[in-house]
Amino acid sequence: MQDAVFNELADLALKGSGQAIPRSKSYLIEARLAPIARREGFGSLEDLVHCLKSRANPVFAAECAAALVSKDTWFFRDRDALNRLVTDILPARLKAGNTGRLKVWIAGGSTGQEAYSLAMMLEDDLPPALRGAKIEILSTDLCKSAVERARAGLYGHYEVQKGLSIHRLMKHFTRNDSGQWEISEILRSKVSFRQHNLLESAGGLGKFDVILCRNVLSGMDRSARSRVVDSLAAQLMPGGLILLGQGESLIGLTSQLEPSREFRGTWAAVDPNRTPVATSVA
Amino acid sequence: MKTCLIVDDSRVVRKVAARIVKDLRFEVAEAGDGAEALEYCRKQMPDAVLLDWNMPVMNGLDFLRALRREEGGKKPIVMFCSIENDAEHVGEALRSGADEFIMKPFDAEILESKFAEVGLI
Repeated sequence: MQDAVFNELADLALKGSGQAIPRSKSYLIEARLAPIARREGFGSLEDLVHCLKSRANPVFAAECAAALVSKDTWFFRDRDALNRLVTDILPARLKAGNTGRLKVWIAGGSTGQEAYSLAMMLEDDLPPALRGAKIEILSTDLCKSAVERARAGLYGHYEVQKGLSIHRLMKHFTRNDSGQWEISEILRSKVSFRQHNLLESAGGLGKFDVILCRNVLSGMDRSARSRVVDSLAAQLMPGGLILLGQGESLIGLTSQLEPSREFRGTWAAVDPNRTPVATSVA
Repeated sequence: MKTCLIVDDSRVVRKVAARIVKDLRFEVAEAGDGAEALEYCRKQMPDAVLLDWNMPVMNGLDFLRALRREEGGKKPIVMFCSIENDAEHVGEALRSGADEFIMKPFDAEILESKFAEVGLI
């Protein structure tokens, strides 16, 4: 890939989604934009870049930027974290909130597997402490086609065999005539999906008890990460928690959040009445 | 090291599966039909069995039912591996004692995910 083409597209990704794509991963750009280039009839990425530069088409530019973000996900990815959410964190939040309602936001939920995994756990193994609770699950992603796929609840042969047991597949999915697996109406009714760019204000989404933002920040450039984290923090209900992916940390990124004292590995709004937890690395 | 018995009448499928299963750090044994597989199990119960459905001599389902009646035959974790993957076939496999069901075609990621699902890795 020519430097000029790479630079244009890397810049588009950075501005559109905060993703920092290093030069060594230019193959990702080619792989992720190839379907769009083919659909639009561009012979090469150079032609696509030329089109982006010569015609101001923010919708097309946003689509390209969204396509450049990883969509990689699977059912029950990081089962331990989901277990902890269902057995410890949600019951504690329910007790603290006293409203009988819980709101969970999966920020950067791609094609919906994480949201549906959570819905499946709540359906199959609801802990007694959550009985009767009204639990709303919202999954958002910047990519329109990912959101549409998530909403349709349709998954392919390979997707339904990654992370899903045959028991869960048989219980919650049916195969349609085209060979795709469709998730049950019951689970679909428990999750809602919206297109949302994490770089923009999330004010319209409401406040949440728990925000899962897993394996999203790690691909972003530092300033985008800070911006996203502050915007997530603004959507936390009092006492709410943020769960990041394995190995992801907010240390040094925000002054608004600190490691939760109650649930190790999660993040909570800084309580101005308490002495801060030491987060600096000596 | 755990042992996995791969039962399939296709040598190609056995070879592909064996390569993946070896990468998951299993010792691999192969059988071309249910009767061969049963003979193997009578000598040495494997930890896991990857089992095709349609095979000559003795099919996968008959093997599975016979295995579960053998002494020590409840121990192996049996994962059916078949293109017959409608709800009826899957249901019958599970009722007959299968622990998991893998729909063909499969790849390394699917096998790894299913092995993890049943607690083999």
